[in-house]
Amino acid sequence: MKKMKWFASTMLASSMIIGLMATAGCSPKKDTLNLYSWADNFDEQVIKDFEKQFDVNINYDVFANNEDLLAKLKAGGSNYDVIQPSDYMVATMIKQDLLEPLNKENIPNWSNISDRFKNQPYDPDNKYSVVYTTGVTGIAYNKKYVKGDINSWADLWKPEYKDKVLLLDDAREVIGMSLKKNGFSNSTTNEDEIKKAVDDIKQLLPSVLAFDTDNIKQKMIAEEGYIGTVWSGDAAYIAAQNPDVAYVVPKEGGTIWSDNYAIPKGTKHKELAEKFINYMLDPQVSAKNYESIGYSDPNDKAKEFHSQEYLANTMINLSDDEIARTEWLMDVGKTLQVYDRYWTEIKSGRE
Amino acid sequence: MRKSKWLVSPVVLWLSIFLILPMAIVVVISFLQRDEFGNLIYQFTLDNYARFFDSLYMGVYWDTLVLSISTTVLCLLISYPLAYYIANAGATRQKIWLLLITVPFWINFLIRTYAWVLLLRSQGVVNSVLMNIGIIDEPLKMLYTKGAVLLGMVYTFIPFMVLPIYVALEQMDKKLLEAASDLGATRWNAFRLITLPQTKSGIMTGSVLVFVSTAGMYVVTDILGGAKSAMLSNIIQTQFLGARDWPFGSALSVIFAITSLVMIFLFNMALRSRHERAKEGRA
Repeated sequence: MKKMKWFASTMLASSMIIGLMATAGCSPKKDTLNLYSWADNFDEQVIKDFEKQFDVNINYDVFANNEDLLAKLKAGGSNYDVIQPSDYMVATMIKQDLLEPLNKENIPNWSNISDRFKNQPYDPDNKYSVVYTTGVTGIAYNKKYVKGDINSWADLWKPEYKDKVLLLDDAREVIGMSLKKNGFSNSTTNEDEIKKAVDDIKQLLPSVLAFDTDNIKQKMIAEEGYIGTVWSGDAAYIAAQNPDVAYVVPKEGGTIWSDNYAIPKGTKHKELAEKFINYMLDPQVSAKNYESIGYSDPNDKAKEFHSQEYLANTMINLSDDEIARTEWLMDVGKTLQVYDRYWTEIKSGRE
Repeated sequence: MRKSKWLVSPVVLWLSIFLILPMAIVVVISFLQRDEFGNLIYQFTLDNYARFFDSLYMGVYWDTLVLSISTTVLCLLISYPLAYYIANAGATRQKIWLLLITVPFWINFLIRTYAWVLLLRSQGVVNSVLMNIGIIDEPLKMLYTKGAVLLGMVYTFIPFMVLPIYVALEQMDKKLLEAASDLGATRWNAFRLITLPQTKSGIMTGSVLVFVSTAGMYVVTDILGGAKSAMLSNIIQTQFLGARDWPFGSALSVIFAITSLVMIFLFNMALRSRHERAKEGRA
């Protein structure tokens, strides 16, 4: 009995301590903006400045992929105020009625965004989303080992790169790449076209060193792979660490992607969320933020505040020509199962 | 009696909330349908199980079994002599050895796996050393192969095999060995007829632990295998994320759980028949 008392009082005491710690974290007066995004996606100082200027707390939580984000939103009760889904995920969320329409009057800085990145097919009137950053899947290659001009996806198939080709670990990216190589849309639902593209990738498999998304940068920097499908932003990072690495958007075109701001249905701080998006689109704030994180800045008005070095980087700032030959990945509906089964074939080497 | 029942209740509560309930949810979802966004449709279907019998998924299942069994056998072959050596060492040495076996657990598993990448890659430690001393001219291709996956699995799970075998060896009645030697048995015969049967339970426990853990491990195939040799666990992961097909992923999980249970059952059968045979022999 004595022991029970001791046990109970310890439990009581520890739960009280935990309770105290939990309330001490947030002062009751301030509003909290709950931000849910990718890891390291913002400059810390820019976030702190916003907290100070608007007298709020920002609670920054991270997800590892779009599907995690979707699952969490659908489960409900997550209380996020600003989220950063990618292009196709914006479309999916709109279709499932998970997003709050944006009040553009609260986001006057929206007009600073380059026309190239407004009104894109995944959200035609930007009713629900505002672009944050974009990139293109192209070819990164190491000039030490890869001689001659690289300008086509077909270059990956050259026999001299056997065991040195890196591919993204993503069904839609890899099959989409092969679809572009064969002159089809990267989001086709025509099963004959998909089959042709997959047969092509099976020819490429003996050359493939590894499939990787998160660590493909390290594999290129360490020169484990000589050539591979790499996002433009990652290519910029790789080239900064290993100057021998070059990047090209192949002539057949590549897949373009974007991460966006959106506000989930059921937020309690819609206006504050819009204020945050507007603040981030301020030219000076914007320049500071993107210089720090090293991604592309879609803000036209921010150009004058960017460094020469940043503006000269052709992997961060893709040309109009390069952007013109890119295509967004669109939701393929039921055909996703066809892509997935082929992806299992590719990844397991079985049929 | 009542007191001892009370002691069990936290475990029962823990298991029902964190094991039985999630498992039940997985089983239920495995019989449901889904729409193209991955939303569950509450209509009964057996399609998710039927899909498993596609030769593609059966092939992946077979690959998973082969890898798991190879890992178990290799772990056993390496661990038994080691455990035997440790169990027969002096008390202080035993402590040191056991400490060394558990030290790797102090370091995060992912970091240890990436350490293998640094060792094995073409510009890695092993290739550099071999090239510098002139044994090879070109880097050996070691990383991103099936061999690297097997190596990574064996490396990761050896402690799970060593420890149960060590415990079994420790608990063994050493007097039996003295008796055997008094009666003129060779050391090999004494090992075969006394030590091995007495440590069977350790071997079984270790084998079950290694087999089930290998079959469920998907990080090693991604990091050391270059994500080129998908195992059942990798397919399950894809179904829950990119493919937005929780019902199929759940069905594969249920099949995986059943496989593990069958393996444990088979191991236990083997163990029991040994005991029974031993009893019959004595009678």
